[in-house]
Amino acid sequence: MNPSRVLFISLIGFCSVYCITAFAASQEFELRIREHLFYPSNLEVPANQKIRLVIINEDATPEEFESYELNREKVIPGNSRTVIFIGPLSPGEYVFFGEFYPRTAQGKIIAR
Amino acid sequence: MFLDTVILVLQEILEAALIISVFLALIRHFHDLKPGSFTPGHLWIPAAVLIGVSGAWIYAFYMPDITQWFDYVGLEIVNSALQIMIIILLLCFCYMVTLERLEKSPRLNLLVAICLTLLVSLGIIREVSEIIIYAQGILSNPENYSPVLLGSLIAIGIGASSGIILYYVLINLHGLWGLRICLILLALFAGNMASQASLLLIQADWLPYTVELWDSSALLPEYSVTGQLLYALIGYEANPSLLQVCVYIGAVLLILTSPLFLLSWRYNNMQAVSNS
Repeated sequence: MNPSRVLFISLIGFCSVYCITAFAASQEFELRIREHLFYPSNLEVPANQKIRLVIINEDATPEEFESYELNREKVIPGNSRTVIFIGPLSPGEYVFFGEFYPRTAQGKIIAR
Repeated sequence: MFLDTVILVLQEILEAALIISVFLALIRHFHDLKPGSFTPGHLWIPAAVLIGVSGAWIYAFYMPDITQWFDYVGLEIVNSALQIMIIILLLCFCYMVTLERLEKSPRLNLLVAICLTLLVSLGIIREVSEIIIYAQGILSNPENYSPVLLGSLIAIGIGASSGIILYYVLINLHGLWGLRICLILLALFAGNMASQASLLLIQADWLPYTVELWDSSALLPEYSVTGQLLYALIGYEANPSLLQVCVYIGAVLLILTSPLFLLSWRYNNMQAVSNS
């Protein structure tokens, strides 16, 4: 097989894998911030699936969702909502916290 | 509150402080190698800080709207666009600064200086906007005024001192190796930007998930002091994905194959010494 054909086929392969992963429907979960606390503070999600995490900040003050384990970081302005995609996660616990109020805003995502 | 502020502000400004130091040391070493070459003057730093901080105010002001763009992933898209622009400007810098015409053309010299100023100010916009958002929220309670102000001042002090220490370490490196090490740090900085940009696009689901390549969080946690320093300087991640590592290497290679880097290897130490 000539090299350009190999390249072409692998490109098609890559694109289709990309499309499948990029546009696969992801399950949605919700996390609320109220008085610098996360509700629920323990969020159970299915393992090995991409998750669309909707975070609603009910406080007037902004917060920053941060997790070293999940490799995620995002500012959420006061009284607004945002979306973060996470996973697919291996089964286990993933700690997250609010960087602006780290003493109170703590929680974890439990992937089962 | 005080300690939280110190940590948060320091995390944000450390990267900017370190990269300004690398550029200052690089320009100085490059001057030793090619006297009469690129001279940006000293105004570019205050200009970059001014543009960066005012840009950060505007960005912070519109952040609630930007958050809602592209189905609530607007922040990721805008932030990654800023980082990609930084890489492009960095490449422009590495290509233009070696041009022979630069010595005779003040206009070209000015263009390179603008390029440098812009790339540093873009970095500042993203980092400082987060500090502004944080301060706006936390200062809604007047009790927090003095701990936040004091914490920020101390963080700025530590950040600036780290930058100054790095600068003196870099300019004291001998001969061509000084320039080479500055350029390697610049390449790793580009890698850091590319890796962060790809991470943001993965977070926004604009780029696909790829497997985690390693997990060194037990060995060197990202939240440790060393982890934070390495994150600011070379983009250390304890658990990066395959895609992040690929774009990191790609961006590093782009800088390592640029004329400025190649030039620093074409010269030998004898030439550098005779020039200086």
